[in-house]
Amino acid sequence: MADWEPKIIGFLCNWCSYTGADLAGTSRLQYPSNIRIIKVMCSGRVNPQFVLKAFQEGADGVLVSGCHPGDCHYIEGNYYARRKLTLLKDLLEFMGVDPERFQVSWVSASEGHKFAEVVTKFTEQIKTLGPQTKLDGGDGE
Amino acid sequence: MTDMKALTDQIRSTAREWLEKGEVKYIIGYEKDPNSPIARPVFIHEPKDVDRLIIDLTCVNNLTRFLVDEMKNKPKRGEEPDLRPIGIVVKPCDSKTIVELVKEKIVPRDRVKIIGVVSPSTIDPKKLNMALKNIPQNKRKDVKLKENGNDFILEYDGESSSIPQDDLLADKCKVCVVHTPVISDITIGEGEKDWKKDNFEDIKDIEDMSPDERWEFWKRQLDRCVRCYACREACPLCYCEECVFDREKPYRWNERTVGLKENAFYHLVRAMHLAGRCVDCGECERVCPMDIPIRKINRYLIKRARERFNVFPGINVEEDPMFGSYDVDDPGEDIW
Repeated sequence: MADWEPKIIGFLCNWCSYTGADLAGTSRLQYPSNIRIIKVMCSGRVNPQFVLKAFQEGADGVLVSGCHPGDCHYIEGNYYARRKLTLLKDLLEFMGVDPERFQVSWVSASEGHKFAEVVTKFTEQIKTLGPQTKLDGGDGE
Repeated sequence: MTDMKALTDQIRSTAREWLEKGEVKYIIGYEKDPNSPIARPVFIHEPKDVDRLIIDLTCVNNLTRFLVDEMKNKPKRGEEPDLRPIGIVVKPCDSKTIVELVKEKIVPRDRVKIIGVVSPSTIDPKKLNMALKNIPQNKRKDVKLKENGNDFILEYDGESSSIPQDDLLADKCKVCVVHTPVISDITIGEGEKDWKKDNFEDIKDIEDMSPDERWEFWKRQLDRCVRCYACREACPLCYCEECVFDREKPYRWNERTVGLKENAFYHLVRAMHLAGRCVDCGECERVCPMDIPIRKINRYLIKRARERFNVFPGINVEEDPMFGSYDVDDPGEDIW
């Protein structure tokens, strides 16, 4: 287990967080490479099913990131996302899956620093939690 | 204690009136099942058949599922569609389903004519079968069930035995807060108009567990699931034309295998699909052959939706669906 590295899936919105991640890259900021980024057009596009599927396929953590409330490119997409995803987090907690494995964050296109911070903090959090062995059926794949 | 005979008579006379005037296409109700002590659904097309309709403690089904199926029926080519409303007998809990269906525009309000019955409660068929386990299966239909104060009287073969109400009542009826239909064209019977406060006591034991205990609990429950999808088929709000769990193209979301990881995915996704819509009619749990406490998951989400977004599904037709609306001040304290 010593060389275990967490697998983290990040759903980033095209307009803010993905651009923010790009800025973090072009600014040569250091952040852990555990995150696998999937670009979505809006955080409102993230169906709770996507998050659960990631956990089922063996992800150790899932990060969803979008524009700050009020800044959505589609005006209101992230408000819908907030409702869905906070409730999903509650559900995970009720089922006994660590809710800390699932995180929502608001990162704007200019916040390259914040993106690097969020990813570093989240990766540390998942490292202390260890591998996710519940929703992937416990087969350790 | 309610006089079931009087309620039955009123349902029959209303149904007769509606059918004779041709106001409804047909009436969905309950009738005595000749093979079981539990009542079964019936479709009444002719006024001469209305005397088959009954209402009693064993009318457990949520009949609105048939309403959804009717709305999906397409008329045959060249045939004039019969757009008269469908008559339906509903208990207070089932009436909340109709509110949700009207709200989601699955059932237009003018396509349904509702006989709302103020029925006190229903029994749980599984519990009744346990109570009757000494009687052979094919004889159970002769058992008579009566209410007597806080007890139920089971009469069979000239003998009668008493059983506390709590041992036979459906779990959903024990925590029921609404005793009169929320939506109806005619309400039959008298009941408390006020809503009680739902304090969600029945899920408290799970909430008090530690996270690992909770997972162990749910693992034991979900491991049993055979994925027969009975919960989905019985649920009046699971009406998608093509369910995500049946889809093969462009992507198969869940493998067909029965295993913990597929079962957990199924139940979690289903819970999310019903969040803010489920009115806790209890059909999923009633039809589950493996006795998985599905209602507990749904009830937890009802509770959280209430606390977080002040959403009460199944009350107001004018309200927006929970996930189809938002409030700028919705809580998001966990968000980084």
